[in-house]
Amino acid sequence: MLQRIRSRLIQLFTVLFALSLLTFTLMKLAPGDPVLSLLRVDEMQVTMADEAQLREELGLNRPLHQQYLAWLGNVLRLDFGTSIMKGKPVLQELMDRLPATLELTLGGLAFMALVAVPLGMLAARYPGRLPDHLGRLFALLGASVPLFWLGLILIFIFSLKLQWLPMTGRGEWKGLILPSVTLGFGLAAVHARLLRSGMLESLSQEYVRSARARGLSERRVYFKHVLRAALIPVLTVFGMTFGSLLGGSVVVETLFAWPGLGSMAVEAVFQRDYPLVQGYLMMTGLLIIAANLAVDLLYGWVDPRIRVKGGRVQ
Amino acid sequence: MLLQSRKKHIGTLSLSAVLAAAILLAGCSSSKGAEGTAPGSGAAVPASKKVTLMYHFKSGSLDPSNDYIAVRAGIVETLAKLNENLEVQPWLASKWEVKDPVTWSLTIRDGIQFQDGTPLDAAAVKASLERSMQASKPLGGALKIASMEASGQQLTIVTREPHPSFVSELVNPYTGIISTEAEKKAGTAAFNLAPVGTGPFRVKAFTPNVGVQLEKNAKYWDGAAKLDEVEWKFNEDGNVRSMALQAKEVDIATQLPAETVTAISKDAELRVESTSSLRVHFLLFNPARDAVKDVRVRRALDLLLNRESIVGDIMLGHATAANGPFNTRLPFGSKDPVRASDPEQAKKLLAEAGYVPGAGGKLEKDGKPLTLDLITYKGRPELPLIAQLLQSDAAKAGITLNIQTVENIDTYLRQNKDWDFATYSNLSAPRGDGGYFLSSSLVPGGSLNAGGISIDKLNPILARLQATSDPKQRSEITQEAVAVVREEVPHAYAVYPNLIVGMNKRVSDWKPGAEEYYILTNKMDVK
Repeated sequence: MLQRIRSRLIQLFTVLFALSLLTFTLMKLAPGDPVLSLLRVDEMQVTMADEAQLREELGLNRPLHQQYLAWLGNVLRLDFGTSIMKGKPVLQELMDRLPATLELTLGGLAFMALVAVPLGMLAARYPGRLPDHLGRLFALLGASVPLFWLGLILIFIFSLKLQWLPMTGRGEWKGLILPSVTLGFGLAAVHARLLRSGMLESLSQEYVRSARARGLSERRVYFKHVLRAALIPVLTVFGMTFGSLLGGSVVVETLFAWPGLGSMAVEAVFQRDYPLVQGYLMMTGLLIIAANLAVDLLYGWVDPRIRVKGGRVQ
Repeated sequence: MLLQSRKKHIGTLSLSAVLAAAILLAGCSSSKGAEGTAPGSGAAVPASKKVTLMYHFKSGSLDPSNDYIAVRAGIVETLAKLNENLEVQPWLASKWEVKDPVTWSLTIRDGIQFQDGTPLDAAAVKASLERSMQASKPLGGALKIASMEASGQQLTIVTREPHPSFVSELVNPYTGIISTEAEKKAGTAAFNLAPVGTGPFRVKAFTPNVGVQLEKNAKYWDGAAKLDEVEWKFNEDGNVRSMALQAKEVDIATQLPAETVTAISKDAELRVESTSSLRVHFLLFNPARDAVKDVRVRRALDLLLNRESIVGDIMLGHATAANGPFNTRLPFGSKDPVRASDPEQAKKLLAEAGYVPGAGGKLEKDGKPLTLDLITYKGRPELPLIAQLLQSDAAKAGITLNIQTVENIDTYLRQNKDWDFATYSNLSAPRGDGGYFLSSSLVPGGSLNAGGISIDKLNPILARLQATSDPKQRSEITQEAVAVVREEVPHAYAVYPNLIVGMNKRVSDWKPGAEEYYILTNKMDVK
């Protein structure tokens, strides 16, 4: 186990290094810099000489490799720098935004689990019958409905017409429901179908026939044996989904005025706030890798047949 | 077997616990901040006089030196302000005087207290301005202050160079006057979440990027606010703001999409205010390009710009056709009539410039077709539509326009020389003075002059403007400059877009201003 964790840590740092180098280069190659936004040229009287001076002060005129090495050196000392636009330490800005993103992620996943697990199980229990058809329709809707449209429709129904739930705002518990449903809807569709196919596959396995032959109840067969085995592909996708959700969801955050990482990152990219973008990528990269590592470790726990050692399945 | 069964049991329990934790966390997070407004409660239950407003920009900080929200929400005030006629008038400063081209003497209004009870005097203003200039680099450049001297209520300011529009710069919300003593006590980080100013409202709670709750400042110097509380929410989605207004979740929703106005107008409890803004949409020509270097070509394109159609079809009536860079409501706005679309006159000008119809009716000169590159961007959705409308009208006149949509217009125009003209948009007189826009966009080296426009007839007029501080004279010189701009057409001004604000009819004694600075006032009331 320790060896596995060590090897994953080495992978983690390699991926983070490659990610930081790639994004830094791409960001710098893209046209634009933060100077125009910082000087607020659309409102304040400045000259191009002022722009050039600020560019010099911020070190944006230095060669690319020098800028990158300076940033990397600071990161190695756990200094992620200061946001150019916000004037706030990058780490603090990220930590300020992370709770909202976590809240939304967990809300979305909770809705996903509440819908996907029963729907996937029912579809597998009654293949080709009404629950399966409903599951297929739900999956089609989940895959094809754009998030912003779904969000607006939910707001229209539950806030404008029924007035049951507030439209926006983090803080009130009711405020989490609509963003969570919007975020979890598409995920539920994918996970329900995955669970259905996994369960159908498990149901055709010999151990299921043996269990039934031994006289185990259908409930016990489904919950104790079939569901667990079917969770492997679901967990894989879940791990990737969880990781990507931790990066924030721009559409949901914008619609519901949710102060998460996604909208912050987009704003930072548009404003070319390099330290903030780099810090964001490092943090989300770390979270995604951690989520996938956790999923790997969960495999062995979910399915007792799997014992990974040295990359081999025993 | 027993061990395996226990492991399975623990596993199932853990999975359930994770799920439960997720749901609980979602639930728990709510209990700490149950201060949001439930649907309808903002508007329908007037336990105290409260207004809920949904604003189209979010703010991560209330730092008055880096965000307009503190002035907009009536927390802090500036030394000078714009009145309804968009003229600069005294506010926290009761009067000012120009001693010499670089020396200004300001009298700070007497008897005012900050919300923390400390008195407002010249020393407090000096400290506040020093703080603002340190916190905002562009402000330091705009104010050009060399030194300040405070004595009682008298503040003497010396600028680094003659700065005739200095007072108009004091309208800038970044110069909002705060209690630096309160900042010292609270620390800058905490202060920026709840700044202390002199305005009619004080911060009760602020959640970055979500909203701010305000309560009235009972000791406000100009009479306590009629409202007891205000809840100011942020939401950047126009459709959501519109629905929030219709659901009565908010009383005021700013910057509504034009297409939602009809639905709002049908609601007997709501109304819409559509006010001409200080922004102007226009075409910006690149004088370095052969075709548009010729003023006749620029004039022809100006005549092909169908302003009436832009107002009616693109802006759905929520704009005013432009006759110059400055809104006609401004004291220095042009009084000339709006140029009507005139394709025939445009063709005559192009013929004078040597363009004759060639194959397929396309205009050409020396065998080369008149093909122009028009750059646009989606930051303001109406601009690409204006480009398309012009492309269609230009094609009828024999001109081919190649439209290119770019992500970052400012950077593109600076870094590329292969464009003939671009759609652009600016606040042309954000602080009630035209000097900023004229100097930034029409003088070589100006930050908005990406094409390097330089007009011989205009430069001496702008130099005179830079040396004149008397407001009346500045207005006259600005109008003189606008007349030259109208003749030389370095820009073709299209429309002044409207600010569309929806509100519940229970809100009284308030209407949105074109300047967008003073949203919450002590006069605003609810029925």
